[in-house]
Amino acid sequence: MDYFATVLISSLSSASILLIATLGLAVVFGLMGVINLAHGEFIMMGAYSALTATQLGIPFILAIPVAVLVTMVFGALVEIIIIRRLYGRLFDTMLATWGLSLALYQGAVLIFGSVSPGIGMPQINFNVGDYTLAAYPIFMILVAAVMLAGIYALLTRTVYGMKARAAIQVPDMARAIGIDSARTNTLTFAIGCGLAGFAGAILLPIVPATPSMGFAFVIKAFLTVVIAGPVTLAGSALAAIGVGTGASVVASFMTSVAGDLFFFILTVVLLRLYPLGVSAKWRIKL
Amino acid sequence: MKTILSGVCALALTASLSMGTAVAGTKIGAIFDLTGGLNIYGIQQNNALQLAVEEINANGGVLGEPIEVVSYDAQSELSKYTQFANTAILRDKITALFAGLTSSSREAIRPIVRKANIPYFYSSLYEGGACDKVTFVTGSSASQQMSKLIEWGVSTYGPKIYIMAPDYNFGTISAHWVHEYATRNGGEVVGEDFLPLTVSDYAPTLQKIQAAKPDFVVALPVGANQTGFLEQFAAAGLKDRIGIVSTNYGSGNQQVVVSPQAGKGIIASAGYFMEVANDQNAEFVKKWQAKYGTDTPIVSGAVDVWNAVHLWALAVNKANSSETEAVISALESGLSFDAPNGKVSLDSKSHHLNQNIYIAEGNADHGFDILVTFTDVPAVFEADKCDLVKDPGLAEHFTPES
Repeated sequence: MDYFATVLISSLSSASILLIATLGLAVVFGLMGVINLAHGEFIMMGAYSALTATQLGIPFILAIPVAVLVTMVFGALVEIIIIRRLYGRLFDTMLATWGLSLALYQGAVLIFGSVSPGIGMPQINFNVGDYTLAAYPIFMILVAAVMLAGIYALLTRTVYGMKARAAIQVPDMARAIGIDSARTNTLTFAIGCGLAGFAGAILLPIVPATPSMGFAFVIKAFLTVVIAGPVTLAGSALAAIGVGTGASVVASFMTSVAGDLFFFILTVVLLRLYPLGVSAKWRIKL
Repeated sequence: MKTILSGVCALALTASLSMGTAVAGTKIGAIFDLTGGLNIYGIQQNNALQLAVEEINANGGVLGEPIEVVSYDAQSELSKYTQFANTAILRDKITALFAGLTSSSREAIRPIVRKANIPYFYSSLYEGGACDKVTFVTGSSASQQMSKLIEWGVSTYGPKIYIMAPDYNFGTISAHWVHEYATRNGGEVVGEDFLPLTVSDYAPTLQKIQAAKPDFVVALPVGANQTGFLEQFAAAGLKDRIGIVSTNYGSGNQQVVVSPQAGKGIIASAGYFMEVANDQNAEFVKKWQAKYGTDTPIVSGAVDVWNAVHLWALAVNKANSSETEAVISALESGLSFDAPNGKVSLDSKSHHLNQNIYIAEGNADHGFDILVTFTDVPAVFEADKCDLVKDPGLAEHFTPES
C-alpha cells in the first residue's frame, strides 16, 4: 500500500517533469505551427545560464529568472534571424532548427567543456510509510501546475495573448485590424524558448547541466506535443500526465525499459486512434 | 565494368597493404573522440598519447628515431573509426594503432587491424572478453574490478546487493559479474534494474531499491543522464542507510558533476585515481598539469593510454624492430612497466594487464580518498578464457554466458 502510494506520487512527479520540459515546445508548435528541434538545446542553455549565475554567486531562486531572460533574448534573435524567413515551410524550419541544435550543442562543449560541477538537490525528503521520497522532484508537481496556470493567464488575460491567438488563428484578419503579427510571433517564439530555459533551470538540481542533456528531453517532449494535438495547454497537460504517469508506473512495477516501451507503444496506439492528436475534436481552444 | 573496377581497387588495396607492412618505421596512429558526446574521455586519451610520445621522444624515441603520430578525431561516431583506421593503415602506413573508447568502437576496429596485421591497443575500462592476437587491452575489465569491489562491499556493508546498470552489454555483463562474485563472497542480489541511457528521472528505480532493502547498491551510471541517479539517490535520503559502489563512477569525472552532498561517500573502484600516491604518478600529474592545466582531474582512460604507448615503445625497443611479429612477441615476453597507477604487467596469454585495483571514497571536494589498494590483480575472466600463446588464431569476444 505504501509502495503503491509512493509509486503514484513519484509517477505524478515524473509526469510533471515531462510537462515542464514540454510546455515551451507546445506553445511554439501550438501557436506558431513551428516545430523547434532545438528545444532540447534551449533547455540546456537555460540549465547552463542558471548554473553560471549560481557560480557567480546569485542564489538559485534568482538564477531561474536570469536563465529565462537569457533564453528569451536568444530565442527572439533566432526568430528574427532564422525562423521568420521560413514560416509555412515546416520541413525547412525543422532542418534549420536541427542544425541550430547541433551548433548549440557543440558550442556548449567548446564553452563549458564536457563536465561542469552540478549544484545538487536540496537534501530534503519525507516518508510515506517505509519509503523515503526526495522533496524537490515532488515539488515539480506544483511547479508544473503553476506553469500551466501562468501560461493560460498569459494567453487569455493579456493583450499579448489575444494578439498571439489572433495572429495564428486568422493571420490576415489580425493584420487587417492592425496587429503586427511579425512582432507577436517573435515574442511567442521567445516565450516558448524562455519556457524551455525555465525548464532547464528549475530541473537543474535533478538533471545536471551537460551539453547533451537536451537529447534526453526532446524526444519525449516532442511526442507529447504530437499526442496532444491542436489544443496546446490542456492537450499537453493531459498527454504528459497520461503517458508520463503511465510509463513511470510501468517502470516502477516492471523495468525502466518496459516503462520506455510503454511510452512509445502508447504513443503509436494513440496516434493510430487520434491521427491529429487526442485533442483534435475538443471544443476548447487552449 | 563494375567488376573490373572493383577488381582494380582490390588489387590497389592489397598492393598498398603489403607496402604498409613492408615499410619499417615508427609512425603510430591515434583515433579518439575529440568532439561529440564521448569527448569527455577522448580528449584526455589523446592528450595522454601526445604526452607519452613526447616523453619517449625526449628520451631518444624508439629504434633511435622519434615516434611520429598521426591523429584523427572519430567525432563520437562509429563509422569514423572504421574510416580513419583504414586511412591510417593504408595511407599513413602506421605501425601500431591506439584507438577507441566504447566496446562497439573496438569491435569496429578489430577486423581492420587484424587484416592489416598491426598491433592495436584498446585503452578503456570495459565489460571484458576481447581476445585477439593483435589486440592489447590496457584498461581494466569488469571481472577484474568487480572481483575486488564486491568482496569489499559484502564485507563492509552486508550481503544484500541491488544492481543499477545501463541496458547494454557493459551493464548486463557487469551485472553478471556482480551475481558471480556475490555468490562467491556469500552475498545475494536482491534486485536489479537495467536502464536505457535516455532515462533522466529515477523515482521508479529508487522505489524499487527501497522495496528490496539492499545493504548496498552497485550503480554503473553511464552518460550524463545516469549521473543524475546519484543526485536523486542522495536527495531521497538513501545514502545514509544504503551503501553505493561503482566500477565506473569517476571514469568520466562524474565526481566533478555530482554535487558534494551527493558525491561524498560514493565508493568507486578503478585501475587509477588521480589521488594515487607514488613517485610515477606524482611525476605524471606534474607533467600533465604543466601541459594541460589543472581544470579537470585526470581520468583512468588517460593513464590506460599512457601505459599502452609506453608498453608498445618498450616492446619495439626490446624487439629492435617495429615489425608486427617481433613487436607482438616482445609484448608477449612478460613486459612490465612502472606506471602512474602502480606496476603493471602484460599477461602474455590474454593480452590484458595485471594491475592494481583501487577502492576509493568520494569526498566533499569533488575528489577521492583512496581506501584500499589491491595489487597486481589479474583480468580474471580473460585469463581464464583466452590463451593467445597456445591458440594464436583466436579472435573472439567472450561473454560470460557462452
